[in-house]
Amino acid sequence: MTTTSSSPETHNGAFDPPTAGTAPSSDRRPGRFARILSRMPRSAWPLLVFALLFLIGGLIRPNLLSLDSLIGTATFAMILAIASFGQTAAVIQGGIDLSVPNTIAFSALSYLTLIGPLGPVGGFIGALAAGTVIGIINGTIVAKLGLTPIVTTIAMNGLLFGVVLLTFKNSELTVIPQFLTDITATKIDVFGLSVAAVLPLGLVLMVILQLVLSYTGWGRSLFLVGSAPETAKLAGQPVDRIRIAGYALSSFLAAFSGIIIVGFYAQASATMGAEYLLGSVAAVLVGGASIAGGRGSMIGTLGGALVLGQVATLVAVANLGSNIQQLIYGVIVLIVIALYARRGRD
Amino acid sequence: MESQSTGGAATKVAAPPAPPSAQLVAANLTKHYGAVTAVDDVSFYCLPGEVHALVGENGAGKSTVAKMLAGAVSPTTGTITAGGVELNTGRIRDARLAGVSCAFQELALVQDWTVAENLALPDGSPLRGFSQRGATRAAEALLAELDLPHIDPRAQVRTLTLADRQLVEIARAIGAKPKLLILDEASSALAPPGVAWLFSRIRELTAVGTSVIYVSHRLKELAEIADRGTVLRDGRVAGEFSRGKWTENQLISMMAGREASRAFPPAPPLSVSERPAVLDVDNLIADGINGISLSIAPGEILGIGGLQGHGQAELLRALYGAIPATADQWSIDGHSVKHLTPERAVRLGAGYVPEDRKTEGLALEMGVGENLLAPWFRTAQLGGTPRLAREKPWMAGVLGSLSVRTRGPLEKSGALSGGNQQKLVFGRWLDRDRRLILLHDPTRGIDVRAKQELYTAIMGLSAAGVGVLWFSTEVEELVHVCHRVVVLYEGRVADELSGARLTAEAVVGAAVGSASQSKEQL
Amino acid sequence: MTTATAPSDRSGISRLWNTTGITRLRREGAVAPITAFLAFFLVYVIINPGLLTRFQLQTAGNLVVPLALAALGQLIIVLVGGIDISIGAIMSLANVVFATAMVSLPVPLAILAGIAAGLACGLFNGYLVAYLRLPAIAVTLASAFIIGSISREVMDRPGGGITPEFYLATSGELLPYLPISIFWLAIIATGMWFVLQRTALGRHIYGVGSNIDSVAAAGLNAKRAQLAAFALSSVVVSLGAIMLAGSTITGDPRSGDSYLLSSIAAVALAGASFTGGRGSIIGTILAACTLGLVGSLLFFAGINSYWQYVISALIVISVVGIPVIWKRLYLALRKAHA
Repeated sequence: MTTTSSSPETHNGAFDPPTAGTAPSSDRRPGRFARILSRMPRSAWPLLVFALLFLIGGLIRPNLLSLDSLIGTATFAMILAIASFGQTAAVIQGGIDLSVPNTIAFSALSYLTLIGPLGPVGGFIGALAAGTVIGIINGTIVAKLGLTPIVTTIAMNGLLFGVVLLTFKNSELTVIPQFLTDITATKIDVFGLSVAAVLPLGLVLMVILQLVLSYTGWGRSLFLVGSAPETAKLAGQPVDRIRIAGYALSSFLAAFSGIIIVGFYAQASATMGAEYLLGSVAAVLVGGASIAGGRGSMIGTLGGALVLGQVATLVAVANLGSNIQQLIYGVIVLIVIALYARRGRD
Repeated sequence: MESQSTGGAATKVAAPPAPPSAQLVAANLTKHYGAVTAVDDVSFYCLPGEVHALVGENGAGKSTVAKMLAGAVSPTTGTITAGGVELNTGRIRDARLAGVSCAFQELALVQDWTVAENLALPDGSPLRGFSQRGATRAAEALLAELDLPHIDPRAQVRTLTLADRQLVEIARAIGAKPKLLILDEASSALAPPGVAWLFSRIRELTAVGTSVIYVSHRLKELAEIADRGTVLRDGRVAGEFSRGKWTENQLISMMAGREASRAFPPAPPLSVSERPAVLDVDNLIADGINGISLSIAPGEILGIGGLQGHGQAELLRALYGAIPATADQWSIDGHSVKHLTPERAVRLGAGYVPEDRKTEGLALEMGVGENLLAPWFRTAQLGGTPRLAREKPWMAGVLGSLSVRTRGPLEKSGALSGGNQQKLVFGRWLDRDRRLILLHDPTRGIDVRAKQELYTAIMGLSAAGVGVLWFSTEVEELVHVCHRVVVLYEGRVADELSGARLTAEAVVGAAVGSASQSKEQL
Repeated sequence: MTTATAPSDRSGISRLWNTTGITRLRREGAVAPITAFLAFFLVYVIINPGLLTRFQLQTAGNLVVPLALAALGQLIIVLVGGIDISIGAIMSLANVVFATAMVSLPVPLAILAGIAAGLACGLFNGYLVAYLRLPAIAVTLASAFIIGSISREVMDRPGGGITPEFYLATSGELLPYLPISIFWLAIIATGMWFVLQRTALGRHIYGVGSNIDSVAAAGLNAKRAQLAAFALSSVVVSLGAIMLAGSTITGDPRSGDSYLLSSIAAVALAGASFTGGRGSIIGTILAACTLGLVGSLLFFAGINSYWQYVISALIVISVVGIPVIWKRLYLALRKAHA
């Protein structure tokens, strides 16, 4: 007696809960276009969409099809991407970091305040250290106290808001050290093009982070923890430590982006990070990450930021205002999760 | 008794013409989950007042059929007719309204509701008013009618024992006053008094013409309660039987499709080893464990038996550090243990194959290779493709020795069949200097060839001096493959069996708490 | 065998502690916020005895009621196991729609318009989460910004047509020493209690938060219960927005922004479980009162009121953290003594 290797895998073991019964939706035949898409890596899809939007922009207003416009959009997108790299790490491990906005503000204002006593580089390190501590606290609360990431990071965001309002007097913080401007806003020559320094800076950062995600043990265990936390625990991985490190990285990168933002735009305020709440989550989701965890990439996040940047350019050209831009970002997030994130079951 | 084939794959059965008086007619039921066929062209009928059994091994499809009858799952093709009304909508509510109710294997109770709320809320429109007192009174009446006076209707379900929860689940199904009652492994958490209670209720129902579908794999119960029955194997009908005209061996043959006594590889002989005991624990106490002492020598296969829910899962998790536990004395491979976590356990040389391979054993979205490497990622070491390349020899060895059918280390593990998935969970511990492996029913729900391959692998571990702790729900496995078997009852060791005393009857006897009897038989 | 709980104990207090209603409050974790509120109230009155004057009671009531309603709205979503990040935005939208409608419509129609705007948001969120099965975090995060943008399109700066009569009707006094806002809160809360505890739908909502699969297996329409939860929540929040508009006599597109953190803090302090299925109405209201008054307590104690953000956040963390840390300490101590 033999059974073939493809003997029926039965889903009716003791572990399948009774479902409310909808017909299985897994029987659709993929079209040819879908099959081409599925061959490409997921992180390339947003780049396609970006190219598409760029062309559409050019159709509406031909002068948008210029290198200048491309570089302008890319610069805006790179800053958003830098603010979103941390969120990528948080989302991959199955959580989310809603304390990004006020971590940005806190870090930027701390930096400007610490330049006095510690000098520009010392201030940089100080602000980054503060960001890391914020992340460690977030991670500890999520991992050890068991509070959900949403509630934890919303609470931290509120806490930081209070701290920022209590600690910093904005009127005194206007001096941006030259060193910072040099690595953000100053134009440098890359392959004959004149681009803001933040562009290559962001690219280098992205490459380093992507290498960590793809090629280090910690990076892969981050995916494991996000995709199957119980499996990770029972495989003997130190899930708590991995999580805390993930949140620490997320806040570290948010703090880093705060300094970059204040350097590039040369202004700081208590609400300077507000637009990055939705922006960072949107960039990460458009980049192909799964909100449930276990999937995502830094390259994808950059692609997502490019898409959102091009949308912002189109909105500006159509003179619709930043309010409408936020609305469109919200709609884009809904479209992306409607495409990728159904919780349905057979 | 008609059987289709005792060997080879089950062939299709022509649907017997159902008499017009039949309460339930299931015709050509088929269920596909994507590419996998769980149920293939199953047909049977049930007369009013009859107890019709659905029998089969784990994974034979009986639970899926029960769910289709109950309306929890809608069949891909095929029809269900209950009392003349066709039921295919896949909505439990419609089934209940048509007089079909089901006590589910996965208890469908809301933990935060009280017993009264769980009994009262299922039928009725949401806009109805709801009164706690009214529901409690109705619940008291129902529980009294069903002879369950010890259950407090005001108690929250999460505070009840597993057995009581099963009783409430059954009460809920009977309370719907169905014309067709489906009991899916309803006796699994019940002790013999509970089973007797259940049979009394069933007889009350059949006396007034209610039909009962009894899904089970406990053949002794079927002998007592089933009027007729259908045997399922690999999702198809393998045969039918009726009361008094069958023997256990015949039924087992139909279920297994081979001779009753399966070929098990015998446990390799134990050699005396100078190494310390792989596991030595004295008076282990944890949630669900009331003082267990064990010792496992290198290379020894220790089986854990007993009815489900008597502490076996907790024992394995405690020994691995997945739940907090204390002991007077505890050592793994000679190293003393105070507070164990899975991380420490792995470092001390333990490995664990958990109960649910899909949610506890694997990351279904990740690849085969990374799942094998799951315990072996280290923060500062390489991961991803360079690591996979470096570990290629090890992975090839593991996949080869277990005969895992996969396209390669990059294939998503969710795409593998159940048996191959289970091999991944098992294989990650091979050739990794393990001293102790804890197995939670590793062969449940997988095909026969995969089972054999796992048995061979476990023999290999034993021969290499690795201690194995094996909890199995299949008594035959315990009896034939293990050196020694410890049977748990209510969180304690009921009996320890080895050598001549290690028989199926002794294991089952100890499992139902009659350990004293089996000792007297010697 | 279960041990049958026989509540007919000897002493009267024990019997009181075990009656159905009190048991339910205990189960839903309401003991903490009730004692917290009583303690807080005591401290407040000591620092500022002036609270017990008619004017201050009125002010306090007007301050606290919109927060209590926002918190109740958040509670309903938490009960079904989710969290609503768009609660502040829904509040802003209902607020500005109401204020704008008051310019040209009679009061009852304007109120309906405000509620309808909020309800539309709730149904939108609920449909996406329950029927399209999208994850609630992403849905409510996105809709928070969409709804917020719409609010700012409806009204880009504070304004609207709210009349002094309306102010009196919502924020004046019903009886001496009883602000009318508290009266409205009591009515709305009673209505909510009725739906949640005395209708089958309410029990379904609790059930969905506890275990949605079991609810579905019981033959109930879990999706409809989820949608109903979002709808009910948004109606309560809209009423809070209207009360807020009444007490400030303006509509403001940013009015709802601060209520996100506060509503979550209130629900956390109320002992609700963020995994769903557990939470009490009274606990939430008292928790909201406590939090709402923290700001004014700081003012009377002479402390910078920006501290209230810090305090709200610390409350959320400690309410969850302290029991965990306590349990660890307790177990460690017990082990040391064993």
